[in-house]
Amino acid sequence: MDLLDVNNLAVRIADKPILTDVSLSVSAGEIVGLLGPNGAGKSTTIAAMLGLLPRQQGTVAVLGQDPARAPFTIYRNIGVLPEQNGLYDWMSGEDYLAFFAALHGLSPESAMIAARLGAVGLSPRRGQRIGTYSRGMRQRLGLARALIGAPRLLVLDEPTNGLDPRGRHEVHALLRDLAAQGTGILMCTHLLDDVERLCRRVVVIADGRTRAEGTIPDLVARSEGASRYRLRLAAPPPSLAAVRGVGRIRQEGETWMIELEPGAAAETVWPELFGRGWKIVEIRDEGRGLESFYLSLTGLPERKAA
Amino acid sequence: MRRNLARFAAASAMAITVLAASCPSAAGDLSIAIAPSVDNPADPQMGDHLVFETRLTNTGATPVLGVISWLSIVRVDPGQEAPIGLEDWSAEKAVTRASLAPGETIATDWPMRLIQDGHYRAVVSAASRDGTILAASPFADFTVRVKPVVQSARVIPVAAGVPLLLMLLFFMRRRASSSR
Amino acid sequence: MTPATLIARKEAGELLFSLRGLAWLLALCAALSSFTLLLVGSTELSLLDNAQVVCDMAGLITVLASLLALIVGIDATAGERERGSLVPLLLIPTPRRMILLGKLGGILIAWIAMFLLSIPYLWAVGSTGQNLAEGVALVAILGTPVVLTFGFLGMALGSWMPSARACLMTGMIALAVSASPLVIGPSLRQSAIGRIFDAINPLSGTVNAYDAVIIDGKPIIAQWPGLVLALAWLAIVLASAVAAFDRLSR
Repeated sequence: MDLLDVNNLAVRIADKPILTDVSLSVSAGEIVGLLGPNGAGKSTTIAAMLGLLPRQQGTVAVLGQDPARAPFTIYRNIGVLPEQNGLYDWMSGEDYLAFFAALHGLSPESAMIAARLGAVGLSPRRGQRIGTYSRGMRQRLGLARALIGAPRLLVLDEPTNGLDPRGRHEVHALLRDLAAQGTGILMCTHLLDDVERLCRRVVVIADGRTRAEGTIPDLVARSEGASRYRLRLAAPPPSLAAVRGVGRIRQEGETWMIELEPGAAAETVWPELFGRGWKIVEIRDEGRGLESFYLSLTGLPERKAA
Repeated sequence: MRRNLARFAAASAMAITVLAASCPSAAGDLSIAIAPSVDNPADPQMGDHLVFETRLTNTGATPVLGVISWLSIVRVDPGQEAPIGLEDWSAEKAVTRASLAPGETIATDWPMRLIQDGHYRAVVSAASRDGTILAASPFADFTVRVKPVVQSARVIPVAAGVPLLLMLLFFMRRRASSSR
Repeated sequence: MTPATLIARKEAGELLFSLRGLAWLLALCAALSSFTLLLVGSTELSLLDNAQVVCDMAGLITVLASLLALIVGIDATAGERERGSLVPLLLIPTPRRMILLGKLGGILIAWIAMFLLSIPYLWAVGSTGQNLAEGVALVAILGTPVVLTFGFLGMALGSWMPSARACLMTGMIALAVSASPLVIGPSLRQSAIGRIFDAINPLSGTVNAYDAVIIDGKPIIAQWPGLVLALAWLAIVLASAVAAFDRLSR
């Protein structure tokens, strides 16, 4: 049974459609990445599936139950790290966890609190005021709070936000351990590297609807037709006029991203560009990763070759 | 009557004096007698309560219609002579009666709270609705001793101490949490 | 310990142990300290009668505590939402109304703290005069529903409105309108509109009761109309806060 099953979810806020058709699922022991550009509706999806926002359409089952009808059973068995992870700065980390443990009806025994703090690497700072914590430490404490009550499902919004490389590595290891123990994890993030390292499946949301869902290899394979190359030029391109075989051209900082049309051969494109006066210094193939797939699906408005 | 005389005798021993109290004034058909209450403090000071008792009598042969009686207080310290606004001094500002029959008397207590030190003169007046009768009581003089209202010896420690105590508590709490 | 008690304790801690909460309490004490120092420093004010001073102090405490309760109420909802700490609370396995009860309890604790802090000030200015005990009792009896009314109003606004700043503006306007009879002249208050406004305004009723008991020496029991009015407003605002908090989305 899926721990989380969302089907055709639609949400309106102030009469404005925010989500129109979102579907996703998370099984036990699985880490699922929820991807999408800013404003795509990821946080709204999380809020709606937790019962914090009313939905206009669709079904949501968390641990087999509808959060609108049985929220407390669900809340007792899930852990959530919201995107905006506000804490009580005047409390110590230890007191903070003890407070939430008590609110979950658990005995705020020090062994459990110590274990959670240890799991996120905060044991040495457990007695310090949260106000003195760094951003990364605050994120770890939020994660520790989400782990109170040994949740069967974790919903994490940008869990590695603000963490240094070691912190990220430790959190990755922790999430892998939890998944190995059967915890289902939905991870909403912008860091595709995190997703590639941790997730088996990915759901991409854009414009309020699910645009793609599947395992990373499947999704990447689907994007094979749209090969992408990053070019470094010695001078700006003389013209962006249409080039046979090129679908889109977009400037990204100092480089230019070229997306070929399906079936087009790169070997025929480069001579054409050289012939038009493009001073190409370097060509890098970027056509086969998750980022390529993600960008092709959700790319920002691009400069279409005329 | 004997009781009233006893009251007046008691009043004469206080700092409150009623001038010509035994001779009610009369104008037309109304007369007003005024006397301080026997319960009044002997040496009143700011914040104390005083009560003046008046007896308004129709001494005429016909009823007086629409009787209104009111209290006035004036300050009589040299250079500071002024009528006193009764807003803070007394909630009892007037007594009315639709008709007062011949020989009938209205007994009224006029309580007041002493707001400021000084020498004062109270007088109760009465008038008929048609404006043909106006009567005033004799003067009732009294003196209010000054009393310190707010004492700086008490105020300054509180005004400075409470905020300091709050700050102390805050820093103690912070120290306790950071030393763990 | 019930979730409501835990949350009430947390809210109290927010006031007593956080820099923000302490700053609010310090501001309250600074205003009361300024007023008391003014009483000994100003020749005009030093001539005021003790009872008048106690009455003024009681009114000032009630208005300032109402303002602070309003801020605490807004902070407990809109403030927490803006700081991102409300969602974890909404996701605890407890009915919404228990969470609300805890937050309302926090406002009550905040008022108790403010009341206790104000007692030394009442004593400092009124211990040599009359009706100090009655004044303190009346602040407890009538001040409590009035202050809680504004605290609960803050919670209702904080649950309804999108930003804490908008809530604060609205709440301040409501408080200023309620307190306006204290600053408008008696002639305006004697007009028909003024009398109607006075009759339905809980703050007016409370201040009038302070005047009647502390200055005029009338019995506290006779002030029941003011208490009924304050309790009626408290019930209305509480119902609004419950409805708004039930609908609070995230």
